[in-house]
Amino acid sequence: MFAHILRRLALWVPSVLLVMLAVYALAFYGAGDPIKLIFLRAPGDVAYDPTKIEAIREQAGLNRPFLVQFGSYIWNLLHGNFGNSLSSGRSVWKMISAAAPVSLSLGLCAMIVTALVAIPLGMIAGMRQNSRLDYIILGTAVTLWAIPAYVAGPLLMVLLIMVLPEGAVPYGWGGVFDLRILLPLTVLSFQPIALILRQTRAAVIEVMSEDYVRSARAKGVPEHMVALRHILRPVLTPVVTQLGLIMITIVNGAIFVELVFGLPGLGRLTVQALINSDFPVILAITLIGSFLVMASNLLVDLLYPLLDPRAAGSREAR
Amino acid sequence: MEDRPTSLWRDAWKRLRRNKLAVTGLWIVAVLVLVAAIGPWITPYDFLSQNLDARNLPPSLSHLFGTDDLGRDVISRVIYGARTAFLVAVCVTVIALLIGVVLGAIAGFYGGIFDRVMMWFTDMTMSVPQLLLVVVINASLKQPIATWMEGMYLATLNPIWRNSALVDFVLVFGSMALISWPPYARLVRAQVLSIRSRPYVTAARALGLTNRIILLRYVLPNAMGPLIVAVSAGLGTAMVLESAFSFLGVGVNPPTPSWGNMISDGLRVWTNYPHLLIAPAAVLAVVTVAFNFLGDGLNDALNPKGQK
Repeated sequence: MFAHILRRLALWVPSVLLVMLAVYALAFYGAGDPIKLIFLRAPGDVAYDPTKIEAIREQAGLNRPFLVQFGSYIWNLLHGNFGNSLSSGRSVWKMISAAAPVSLSLGLCAMIVTALVAIPLGMIAGMRQNSRLDYIILGTAVTLWAIPAYVAGPLLMVLLIMVLPEGAVPYGWGGVFDLRILLPLTVLSFQPIALILRQTRAAVIEVMSEDYVRSARAKGVPEHMVALRHILRPVLTPVVTQLGLIMITIVNGAIFVELVFGLPGLGRLTVQALINSDFPVILAITLIGSFLVMASNLLVDLLYPLLDPRAAGSREAR
Repeated sequence: MEDRPTSLWRDAWKRLRRNKLAVTGLWIVAVLVLVAAIGPWITPYDFLSQNLDARNLPPSLSHLFGTDDLGRDVISRVIYGARTAFLVAVCVTVIALLIGVVLGAIAGFYGGIFDRVMMWFTDMTMSVPQLLLVVVINASLKQPIATWMEGMYLATLNPIWRNSALVDFVLVFGSMALISWPPYARLVRAQVLSIRSRPYVTAARALGLTNRIILLRYVLPNAMGPLIVAVSAGLGTAMVLESAFSFLGVGVNPPTPSWGNMISDGLRVWTNYPHLLIAPAAVLAVVTVAFNFLGDGLNDALNPKGQK
């Protein structure tokens, strides 16, 4: 077990570093000179004085080789220092920690909703395979999966505006316990729900043909007990391994949901940074997003042998 | 040898036709392709011409989907948006497929250290959230590519290098292909791994055929089924991605019509003119659902073993 953890970590740490290096290199070589970018925005007397620019470059360490700068960027990251925004001059870390709680609570709620909705529905669909109920659930799931958040969100808003009284548009952020969270949460959960539902259904269909399910039924165990005791547990294993994928759908979806519903989270920060070509912010958010996904993948990798003892030691194909 | 493949495809076609959802999806996709192909001849109005006397009109007989804030006919723009979406989807899928098939086939067939490095690289690419990666690529490479194209213009004086829509397309194709190839590579690798040990491959090897011929003549053709399923799903995904990026403003830029930037424009005025939002959003929703139904149907038809 310990060796397994070490092996995974030995591959994981360089992966994270390499992703960071690639993203940093893109920003480093593509974005051009950050000093010029800053002074192009606020052209003061400094902008036209090459010696002053050179002094600032020297002071900020921008004349050092690429790898040294990358190293110091990582070093600063480890100390919680993400640099300063090019457009507002504020600390990127402060901007992110102001926006992150919104995205995090929304994402966590979406995960809980997904688990609560998708697993039971997927089990029902799987246990009644090819029934009309199964087709309805599955068809809905495919539809939910296919429609992107920036289409579902506005369309639902248009529909709701016809039902709701004037002025009750679900726009803005009031915390997790505010009613306005309902619509963004629903839209954000659509794709993960569809994903997990189909996964659960497929797993249930596979488990249903196992001998121990048949013998449990044969000895007269009631159907709901069979579902809870004999089917649910083995079904959860393949579902949990999708954590990384759920993370990706939620991170991607949050960008649109926050934009559509005007939530002050990381997604909106990304889009604003993109409009302003604010590289320190874009870089930081991308790194955080990738880190979240890679961390969930690592977590799944480490937990997998605990969930499925058969797979301990040898797990190459996912 | 000549007879078997046709009957395999005929069987698959039969199974596909029995699946009502998949057939519906196929029809919608066919209509989309047709509309995209003959777009310029069926649009009632020019997608760019503005008519400031007819702004924000609701849907009517003369403007089926109404007009937008500049008096442009929305249905004409939606049709041209189909062209954009389809062009991007096909190009991106072809590029991603080429990268994926080559890397996946080599990794699966030869194995060893190349295989390990490749899979490690694939895993890493897949663990960066796609949207963020495209945002970074787009923000970083836009200026260098524009500079390069200006340089090409000065060197060749060919006006094609001055076309700013081309920069968009190069960026969109490039960055989307860069994030789309890993699933293909994984799929081809898994297929090749399972086919590599089949008796007919061993037989071919015993006959003394070279690796290249075995790979191209015996292994890849037998990996086609799942690949076709992946491509049909991939086309749908690429269309959604294109509109997603245009929605965020990192894809195809106005005035080139794209469903994504139409939705994002519509989002600003939807309380007053909901048709500007509903028209592109509904079309995009129908098309993506159609691609998914078609993909699922193809999956059941081409991989009957998985269906039980």
